[in-house]
Formats: sequence, C-alpha cells, structure tokens
Amino acid sequence: MSTPGTADRPGVLSLRHVSKAFGAVQALRDVSFECHAGEIHALVGENGSGKSTLLGIASGFLVADEGAVEIGGARLGKASPAQARRLGLGIAYQDYSHVLDLTVAENLYLALPVAERPLYQRMERWAEETLTQFNVDVPVGASVATLSLAERQLLEVAKALLTRPKVLLLDEPTTALGPDSIEKLQALVLEQARAGVAIVYVSHRLPEVLSLADRVTVLRDGVGQGTFGAESVSEDSLIALMIGRPLEVAFPVRPSPAAEADEVLAVSGLRGERFGPIDLVVRRGEIVGLAGAEGNGQVQFLRALAGIEPAAGSALCGEREIDRRSPVGPLRAGVVLLSGDRRGEAIFPVLSVRANATVQVLKRLARFGFVSRRRERAAIDGLARRLRVRMASVEQPIVSLSGGNQQKVSLMRPFLRGDVKVILAEEPTQGVDVGARFDIYEALRGKTQEGVAAVVKSSDPIELAGLCDRVVVMSRGRIVEEIPGNELEERRIVEAIVGSRSAVSNKDSAA
Amino acid sequence: MKRGWLPLALMTLLIVALGAYTQAHHSEFLSKLNLNSLLLEAMPLLIVSLGQLCALLVGGFDVSVGALMTVCVVTASFTMTPTMSRIGLLFGALAIVGVGLATGVFNATLVRILRLPSIVATLGTLSILEGIALLLRAYPAGPINTDVTNVLVSSVGFVPIAFIGVVVLAVVADIWLYRTRGGLALRAVGLDATSSRRLGMSAGRIIFLAFVACSVLASIASFYLAAEVQIGSPIIGSQALESIAAAVLGGASLAGGRGSFLGALLAAFFLTEVDNVLPLFQQPTEYADMTIGVLILFALVLYQAPELIARVRAARRRMPAVPATGEIST
Repeated sequence: MSTPGTADRPGVLSLRHVSKAFGAVQALRDVSFECHAGEIHALVGENGSGKSTLLGIASGFLVADEGAVEIGGARLGKASPAQARRLGLGIAYQDYSHVLDLTVAENLYLALPVAERPLYQRMERWAEETLTQFNVDVPVGASVATLSLAERQLLEVAKALLTRPKVLLLDEPTTALGPDSIEKLQALVLEQARAGVAIVYVSHRLPEVLSLADRVTVLRDGVGQGTFGAESVSEDSLIALMIGRPLEVAFPVRPSPAAEADEVLAVSGLRGERFGPIDLVVRRGEIVGLAGAEGNGQVQFLRALAGIEPAAGSALCGEREIDRRSPVGPLRAGVVLLSGDRRGEAIFPVLSVRANATVQVLKRLARFGFVSRRRERAAIDGLARRLRVRMASVEQPIVSLSGGNQQKVSLMRPFLRGDVKVILAEEPTQGVDVGARFDIYEALRGKTQEGVAAVVKSSDPIELAGLCDRVVVMSRGRIVEEIPGNELEERRIVEAIVGSRSAVSNKDSAA
Repeated sequence: MKRGWLPLALMTLLIVALGAYTQAHHSEFLSKLNLNSLLLEAMPLLIVSLGQLCALLVGGFDVSVGALMTVCVVTASFTMTPTMSRIGLLFGALAIVGVGLATGVFNATLVRILRLPSIVATLGTLSILEGIALLLRAYPAGPINTDVTNVLVSSVGFVPIAFIGVVVLAVVADIWLYRTRGGLALRAVGLDATSSRRLGMSAGRIIFLAFVACSVLASIASFYLAAEVQIGSPIIGSQALESIAAAVLGGASLAGGRGSFLGALLAAFFLTEVDNVLPLFQQPTEYADMTIGVLILFALVLYQAPELIARVRAARRRMPAVPATGEIST
C-alpha cells in the first residue's frame, strides 16, 4: 500500500516498471505511468506501440509479467477486471463491452456495480434518466445491435462513467464519432476531470490530444519515451518521439513509375458498415498502401472488395463490375485477398504445404478429374525456390513452418493462379521475421511487375514507405489523404495518420 | 422477450390441435386415466428439458443427460430397494442427486476449466456413464421401492402433483430469467462472454453452475423414469437429443442467451404427446421421429423469420444503392 501525499498530488492510477511479452514479442518493456486526480493524461504511440497492452494491464484484463499496478493506492493483485472495477477503475474499450442482443437499458444496468443497481422493474426509467444526465440520446428499449457505431461509442463511455470511477480509461473514444459527437464527448471528459477523475486518454489524433490533455506520455515499441506537459510539446516533437525505429529491412527497388498505366481496379462510392464512401483507382503494376490507425475501416474496405462483407457502391476490375455478393465473384474476377488472420482464414493449418498452395487451382492441375501429384509438385517447386520458402518437404503440415514461411505459402496462391489481376494484402508481414519480410516484399513487387495491381494494408509506416508506390490514409472510414511516391517516408505517413497535416474532412461522421 | 411469445404460442397451438384431432377419432384420449398417464409419461423429459435449457442458455450442450438418467435409475435399484427403511430411502434418494451433482461438476470442469467444447466433453461423459450403467447392471434387474414411486406419481384428480410443480418451477424460472438481475446476467454471459467479463461479471462461474444445474435436474428427472420402469435397467435413457429438441422448439437459441423454460416444458410435453398418440392411429413410431424432425426444422425457420426480416430491412435502410450485379453472376 502506498501512502497518498508523498507526491504533491496523489497518483490515482500508477503502473510501475511494467513488462509484458506475448510469445517472442516484447509488447511492453519496463514502462512506468502515473495519472493524477483531475488530470487528463494522454497516451500516444503508433499502432503496435503497446498502448492497448498497457490499458489491458491497467484494467486487469491482462496480467503483467513484471511490475505492479495500483489503483487509488491499492494494489491490483491479479488479472481481474472485476477487482479493478471495485478499486475504482472505469474503462471504455475501443471495441466496446456491449452485449449486442440486449437492450440499451439492460447493458447500462449490467455496467453498474451490483450493490448500486436499482430495482429491475425500474431499469428502463433509470436508464433514461442516466442517459439524459450524460447527454446521450438513444432509445433505451432498443437492442444495442440496432445502434449506429457512434451511438455505441457514446454508450460505451456512459457505461464506463456509471461506476463513478476514480480513474477513467478511454481507448480511442472518438474513432466512430462525427465532429458534433466529439465535442460532446470532450465536454463530458473535461467535466469529469474537473470533478477530480483521473483520465487516461488514448488516441492517435494528436490535435485532439493536445487540445484536451494536461500531460502526454509517448510509447514506442513498448518502451516509454517520456511524459511531457501538453503545453510544452508540439505535434512535431511528439511525432519525432513516436517514430524513429531503426530500419531493419531492405526493400525491393521501386521501378520508375509507368505513366498512366491501365486502371485495373476502380472503386467508386463504395461504402459498408464501417467505411465509405471510398473512391480509389489502382493501376497496372502499382502497389498502393493503405494506412491509418487500427479500426478506421481499412480491413472492412478490403474485405468488402473481396466479397466477404456487404457494401454498396461500385468496384470495377478491368471495366467490369465485380460481383461482390460472395467471395467467389471477386476470385473469378481475379481479385485475391491475403487475409491478415492467417491461422483463421488464410491457411488450412493441418494440411500440407502442397495442399495449401494448390487449393485454389486444383482444376488446372487435374487430369480426368484426378489431381496429379506430379503436376502439383512441378508447379510448387520452382515457386518455392523463387519465394525462398524454407521447409523440409512440401508434404509437411503448414503449421510446422514459421510465420513468414506460412505467409509465403499463401502468397504462392496468386502466383499459381494465372488470372490474378489484383492482390489485396492485409498485414502481409505480421509476425514475420526480418529475413522473410524482404522475400515477401520482393514477391509482391515481382508479381506487380507482371502487370498485377496490389493494395497493401499495413499498420507499419516504414513498410508502407519502403514498399509502396503511393499510400492512401484512412480515417473514420474514409480516405483523408493520398501521399505520392516521391513524398513517401515514415514521418510523412505518421503525420497523416495522426492528423497533424491532413485537413480531416469534418463534414459528417463515418457511421 | 419480444419474440419470445412465438414458440410458446406455436407449441400451445400444436398441443391443442393434436389433442383435438386425436379426441375426434378416439374418444378415450381425453379420459382422465389417459391424461394422467400421459402427464406422468412426460415427466422425465419435462424435467430434463429444463436442465438442458440451462446448458443451452450459456451456449453449451449436454448430451450426457440420458446416460446420466440411466445411471441414476440403476443406482436407485441399489439404494432404493423395496425392503429399505425410510431413513435408508432418504439417503438412497440423496445418493441419486449426488450422482447428478458429481456428473455436473465433472462436465462443468471439462467445459469451463479444461475448455473442451461442451458437445465433445459431454459425449465423453455419455460413454463413461453408459459403461458404468452396464457395469452395475448387465441386464434389467433390481426392483425399485414402490412406496416411493407411488408417492412420486400421486395426483390431484388427473393432474400429477409433480406436474403442477414443474409448471410452477418453469414459470418462476422464466420470470427469474427475464425479470431479475441474475437472469439478466445469465443471458448476458450466454450472448457474449467477453463483454460480460469486461463488465466485471464472473462468466466462468455462471457457465459452471449452468452445467451443474443441468445434471442435477437430469438426476431429479430420473426419479420419474424410475417410477415408470420400476427396475434397474441399464438401457433406458434416450432423452439427450429429445431434451435439446424440446429446448430449441421452446425457443432456445443454440448460440446461447435465449430461451424459455415454459417453452421448453410445452415442447417437451408436445413431443411426448406425439409419441403417445401415434400408436392410437396404428402408426409405427418411425413416423413420430420423422414428424419431430420436420417440426424442429420448421420451428427453427419460423423462429428466425422475424430476425431475418429485421436484418434485411436494416441492411436495405443502411445502403439503399445496391449495385446491379445480377447480370454478372453465372
């Protein structure tokens, strides 16, 4: 138990020397963080810098490998969200904590500590009063599934406030909000801070952060880069602290831009549940990067193009509308998605390397309806050498390969198909070691030089800067900026993502 | 519980319709004697369906309930013999509930702590229990105390007291499920365990208790199975799939979080009614199985219809300009 009063103001939330690893990845390394009563303390960093891990540990959802968490002066003993709540921690999750099929009132009710819950019969009236008090206008009897994303986000914050927390954690609370709602939310946050609540505000939007926060802590690659008074830092200096990872990988040489090659993919007015409307043209031989903070619709956009999620609008591939009602149509049109969920969607874990590579083209390798092993091997062998897949045999199960080699095997599919026109790659080097990354970049570049177009969604600005011919940046489901090839560098991309240079179109919300 | 009335209405309608049709052809169907025996015959399935619904509400299955009931009846043939004293019978009865409790804890451990999918875990339990039943009684033997079974089947008029009991239990359970905090917590965990955990609920404990409740109710159901067969038979419990069918016909969702105890009860009664009526028309029981299968499919489609319609409407509203892609499909 620490004694309050040792500092000039009590630290309501303090993390001391916290470290956490997920397998081989060190997500946090000896990070200390303190948030005082009445303070708005922003936490910034690039995608994957450890912000979410830090919040997970503070809220008791994850357990730290080393270090201690104290909430209101009491030690959080084990990983228990329930205990963290009892100690006075409220959290609004980036991906919410709603039970979608229950009503708004029921969700609010569940968010309240058991002892404070009103009689069940009074639930709806109590919920209405509560929402009015937080200035949130949603029907209490509707199921949360029918709410818009912006409404869900406001409801999530209201739920976190219900416990009257001493410390409030807000994880990217404005991702789905339009300008009006952002103002509303910020007013709410300021009001809470004035009332003495310690607020940890995680956001990648630096203008928002600097206008709101008292102090800012920067994380980079799981290491704290220092804590600063908000008035003493500029967006530029924060960006300098956020970036600056050493360049580990080489990239294939970017060919000189072919002037006005044919359009291969032409997207116009495409919109789905979490993105849009989006207009984008990708030309032959081009690799277009898709940048943005996580959760701004990039994944949904790619999945909609691949026919996995519904979307309205138009997407032409070689002047023909792609039939996006199921994944079959895009595949027939030559649009191939390399899913970022490798284990869940991209590979068949227990099948062999051979089967994983050839699964989409068995018809071509078959004779009289029977797949010829000899032809399969012949098709794979050369390709495996070209992509430098390291394996003992093509018959070994794909899960026994390293992540990078698994990714290479799924990359073999577009190579084996003769008819690919567009490759949509989602985080193609996630969990891939440095050596294999270059092979994957080279494979993608090699394939585009054969006339294919590629869209690469990545959360790594260095990768986008090195690999792509140009990069489009998404925010709140829309493309807010396009960075041409001659301006591509890590800093430029990060600046666009954090919104310091881009004029974010503030016309309406993305939901 | 807006859509919740559809299964209750459909089941009530089917029960009444089948009853009326049968009565029109066989005037003895609605006789007090036949109704009494029909209700008693339904008792094991009625009770075990309530238990099965507990497992379904947290998103699981328990396919071991039938085998558990068999083991309980076989146990009764040892612990509740005709010659036993009252005290002995009391302990004998407790032993049977104890078997249910132990099986429930075993299943819940497999599902919750060892994280096995419930359908696989309880399939394993099913085989073990079947083996135990055959080990204890290789063939039907060992009469069960008739004083006890007579008490169990005692009736007011043609209605068994126990039947009134389960109806009251189901109504109370439904009120609990949809009108109290505890019921809300159970539904929340069944609908979305991750969000529930984030909200500080002990999802693990709720799931554990649901599986224990399922097995304990199955062991109580076995008393009525024992009253029916009155002997330690190792090959009688076939209620596992029927109880899932009853819960689903009664409005339960296989994904968890939705269901009605009264609905499960009505559906279980209807399934027994079908079994009971077909011999009157000299129809082989194969037709009963097929009827039930068709009904389950029909009910599932019907119950999902409002949701499907709502989803299509919402999708239309959200994105009005769907591109004309129809011509491209092959």
